[in-house]
Amino acid sequence: MDLKDKYAVVGVGYTPQGKVPERTSVSFHQEAVANAIQDAGLKKEDIDGLISYRHFPPCPGEPNLTPQTISQYLGLTPSYASQDAN
Amino acid sequence: MLEAGICKYVVITYGHSALWGGGMYQMLLQLTGNEAAFGHFGAVGGYALAAMRGMHEFSTGPETWKHIAMGQRKWANLNPAAMMHKKAMSEEDYYNAPMVVEPLRLFDNCLINDGGRAIIITTAERARDLKQPPVLIAGMGHHNPSNEIGQAKYMAGPTGAKKAGEAAFQMAGIGVGDVDACQIYDCFTYTVELTMQDYGFFGRGEGEDWFKGGTIEPGGRMPLNTSGGQLSEAYYMGLTPMSEAVMQLRGQCGDRQLGPKTNTKEPEIILCSDNGGILQSNACYIFRKG
Amino acid sequence: MSYDQLTPTPDADSKPFWDACRNHQLMFQKCAECGDVRWPPSILCPQCHCRDAEWIESVGKGTVYSYAIYHQAFHPAFAAKLPYVVAIVQLDEGPMILTNIIGCPHESLACEMPVQVAWDDVSEECSLPKFLPIL
Repeated sequence: MDLKDKYAVVGVGYTPQGKVPERTSVSFHQEAVANAIQDAGLKKEDIDGLISYRHFPPCPGEPNLTPQTISQYLGLTPSYASQDAN
Repeated sequence: MLEAGICKYVVITYGHSALWGGGMYQMLLQLTGNEAAFGHFGAVGGYALAAMRGMHEFSTGPETWKHIAMGQRKWANLNPAAMMHKKAMSEEDYYNAPMVVEPLRLFDNCLINDGGRAIIITTAERARDLKQPPVLIAGMGHHNPSNEIGQAKYMAGPTGAKKAGEAAFQMAGIGVGDVDACQIYDCFTYTVELTMQDYGFFGRGEGEDWFKGGTIEPGGRMPLNTSGGQLSEAYYMGLTPMSEAVMQLRGQCGDRQLGPKTNTKEPEIILCSDNGGILQSNACYIFRKG
Repeated sequence: MSYDQLTPTPDADSKPFWDACRNHQLMFQKCAECGDVRWPPSILCPQCHCRDAEWIESVGKGTVYSYAIYHQAFHPAFAAKLPYVVAIVQLDEGPMILTNIIGCPHESLACEMPVQVAWDDVSEECSLPKFLPIL
């Protein structure tokens, strides 16, 4: 299985950063993913896989952000969703 | 997923209201379990234990780490989005910063910030028809030694970076000499040193010699963490290094762009690392201009 | 928050260990098959997957594998203790545990330093194994 040069990164999404008041964790997922989709020139319907990073414990008052929760907030219904161990 | 044909476009995302939302404080209290009874909290204590063992086994310490903290800060000074954009760091600043958990000082620690980041992966074939210049994944490798810090004997190396790096270099068919720049997961300065050592950029204990003289800074021969990294730009787990590698290879990095603008080599190949837990997992990615 | 809230919460696997601590005994599981003495406690041996083990008592001596000195309080319960030493001790029987080094000037701390257990009775229900240098 030679994966060399078989796959590519085609979109990057940024958000405001630093101390950003009045913003939830999920709102940063929403903005970053939406910006990455735009950067790549894709539509949200194109996205059929979602990997979220292992999350630190939720902020006070916030829900635990599973890949499903993040998908819901982005209106995504991925064929595959997982959380990375890194 | 892509290889099996289950997915066409995969998004990888991270977001955290770590600062304003207080998420980092929750992490400190919740991630330590019974070890909190001994006053052991969060990641900095774990990496301090690792760094102290490193100092016992080979030549390392603040004399090495200051070059990493100061070098990355110089990159952040060129990045308007970096949290530390307007703050210079002198050697005096580095040494005068408070000890957090000895041997790690404040500027050996990464930042705590609100924000998010995401990247999208697809096949090289589909990438050719998309908007941005594609950045290819030439090699990757993963390894998870997995043990908690209290039972880990790899904290002075070799860490998971050894096997992950070997696998990535083998897939890409290149060696360290072919790498133009590095974006290394930098939760702490010591993590950068140990990862680069395990990837084979220098021999065990030769870090101080390798880093000194501006090696990783603008104008240096191996630019490293060119956004400022997690130490001086912002923390998004592995997406801080990976997003920066992609943007550099696309040539979209403004004042910090590698090449003539920063008196560095125009990059064709950039090596990235990701790391989880207290050195419990390592991922190495080699990106190439498409 | 009081110190009490930072005492260990034993689970089904670790309860025998923490119960023994109350009697000032350091107890570890020794694998019936390969003889590996393990920490943390668990139902099978991570080395050979044997499910049988006997609990053995450690003599409480070992060496410092690594240590770190906390200069900041991450929790109010530790503010008055600063600076304090967190360490990883490898016991002579083999297992490595996270603990504190007490009774040692910080400039004398070193990896591989020999240490012995010293019990800290933090409450009626809880004794913590900490370590003193062997002079």
